[in-house]
Amino acid sequence: MSPSAEMIEAPASDGAEIEVKLSSPSRWEGSVQLHDGRTVPFLAHRYGQQVHVWISGESYVFSPPTPIGRARRSGQQASDDIVSPVPGVVITVHVAADDTVTAGQDLVIVESMKTEQIVKSPRDGVVQRVSVEEGDRVDKGMRLVVLVPEVGE
Amino acid sequence: MILFSKVLVANRGEIAVRVLQTLQAMGIATAAIYADPDDNAPHVALADEAFALEGSAAEETYLDRRKIIALAVQCGAEAVHPGYGFLAENPAFSKECVESGLVFIGPSPETIELLGDKIRSKDAAVQAGVPVVPSSPMWAPGESQADDMSAEIGFPLLVKAAAGGGGRGMRVVERVQDLYPALESASREAASAFGDGRVFLEQYIPAARHVEFQVLADSSGNTIHLLERECSVQRRYQKVIEETPSPALDQSLRNKMAASAVAMAKSAGYTNAGTVEFLVDAQTGDYYFLEMNARIQVEHPVTEETLKLDMVEWQTRIASGELIDFSQDDIQPQGHALECRIYAEDPYDNFAPATGQLLAWRPPSGMGIRLDSGVAEGQEITAYYDSMLAKLIVWGTDRQASIGRMLRALESFPVLGVTTNLPFLIRAINHPEFQSGDYDTGFIGKNQELTSPPESAILSGAAAQIAERFWQSAGRASGKGRGAATLQDMPGPWQGLPKSTLP
Repeated sequence: MSPSAEMIEAPASDGAEIEVKLSSPSRWEGSVQLHDGRTVPFLAHRYGQQVHVWISGESYVFSPPTPIGRARRSGQQASDDIVSPVPGVVITVHVAADDTVTAGQDLVIVESMKTEQIVKSPRDGVVQRVSVEEGDRVDKGMRLVVLVPEVGE
Repeated sequence: MILFSKVLVANRGEIAVRVLQTLQAMGIATAAIYADPDDNAPHVALADEAFALEGSAAEETYLDRRKIIALAVQCGAEAVHPGYGFLAENPAFSKECVESGLVFIGPSPETIELLGDKIRSKDAAVQAGVPVVPSSPMWAPGESQADDMSAEIGFPLLVKAAAGGGGRGMRVVERVQDLYPALESASREAASAFGDGRVFLEQYIPAARHVEFQVLADSSGNTIHLLERECSVQRRYQKVIEETPSPALDQSLRNKMAASAVAMAKSAGYTNAGTVEFLVDAQTGDYYFLEMNARIQVEHPVTEETLKLDMVEWQTRIASGELIDFSQDDIQPQGHALECRIYAEDPYDNFAPATGQLLAWRPPSGMGIRLDSGVAEGQEITAYYDSMLAKLIVWGTDRQASIGRMLRALESFPVLGVTTNLPFLIRAINHPEFQSGDYDTGFIGKNQELTSPPESAILSGAAAQIAERFWQSAGRASGKGRGAATLQDMPGPWQGLPKSTLP
């Protein structure tokens, strides 16, 4: 990493002055002046299609806008999917297809880093499908159960 | 007394690194073991020799007693250091080590067994005249007398695992209808983490402080204490921040508890380094024995920093038959030490474990700053093992000095690629309640602001601008100058992603 000090003027409307003190194709390191007048250090790392930014103790991940991303945001939310909150292994599946469940009821237990995470139903409904079996390895955000509203009430 | 010529470290992560460092400083040859996901881990690189355990799950690797003992014997090790967790408090493992001609660096199998049974250890405490919290007999899956047991203790109560520690297999139960699900879930978790699914009920003492005493005992029965550690900042009954001295103890309470800790260790026939844990009611000054941990503790460095004493060195010397060559009067602490555990978990999502590749890992350094770490930049953090990545320890001449040093260290510790609890730690240390020293085990639960994302968009807005600018510059051909792009040039708004969507 060869140091190259360069001051980039940020858009005046946003007022953040970014000073890059060290730069390489995958890393930027420097300081930034915030709206409130503080100047804080930052470290940015490019990873595939993402930019990870550490700034004053907090970390953020960004990806550039894409047509797919926009479509997903404007499209209908797949709110029927109950997903795993953590990466791990499915320990127990408490429900089966066609079960009627109530809000707060245990659906699935996932073990991650030796700790059990109980996935509870966010609302009343009927289990349309169970997408995992006990022993399955799951990633965070992977669908566990499909829940549909109860009909005919 | 002749020390061991070679020791195998039967652990991973920061504690394996920590133990290896001391053994090497003592001139002892070292051997490490590793599971498949750890083949690039720092403890593997550090040890003189490293042996693959083949497999990923803890049960087939770091918990596989036969595999580990066979490797230790094969490589010519004379002793095994178990670290903490995994097999550290497994009496069968320490027994099998001895049967295979290996010295187990820790207490005897009988002592481990006694202390590992929380009921028997309580009996030992009562015999030693140490106050205890009321609890039930053991419960095993399929048994039904838990209702009677809970009626005697009353709600809310605590379901606790007979084995192990670290908050695994522990649940607070508020209502009788939640008792069986909690028992079953805690039992499963304990079986998975410790290979022992037995659980019991204990009276729940809310808003107590958790204070423990370090003891050191040699084979001649000489037992001394190394003062206390305050461990009340906890999430999921697992410690996050520890300090010594405890702001909760005055000298008279400290002396009473220290005497209880030594009495407990003697009652258990303890040798090597151990820790006696207490709950303290800061208002009344009442204290209760919780358990005695027959291992080195995660938080041992705060004791080391105030006493300038290497605990792993003394564990090793005592195991080799050496006697402690200092007395209780020699234990004179200096200043104040503070430890923050850095976990791969999202403080804004109920501390859910996080995985991913450590794209950046830039620990702070300097006078009074110590990092005990088991990870390195570029390493993949998997869901197979515990989520603790490292411990940041600072020392200062007094509590205020070490708090200031800790804050500066936490704020200058860039980590990218894996979500960590660092933002939480900064807020916790900054919190008036922590700074006053008047906090208890309800600290995190009570102060929601510690675990809510920043309300102001100042930081995230600046971060988005940095990301955007960096992306543009990386895409530009070199030598094109430093054209100042504006937000309007971009095809649309940048998306902040949830951190755990990382590949």
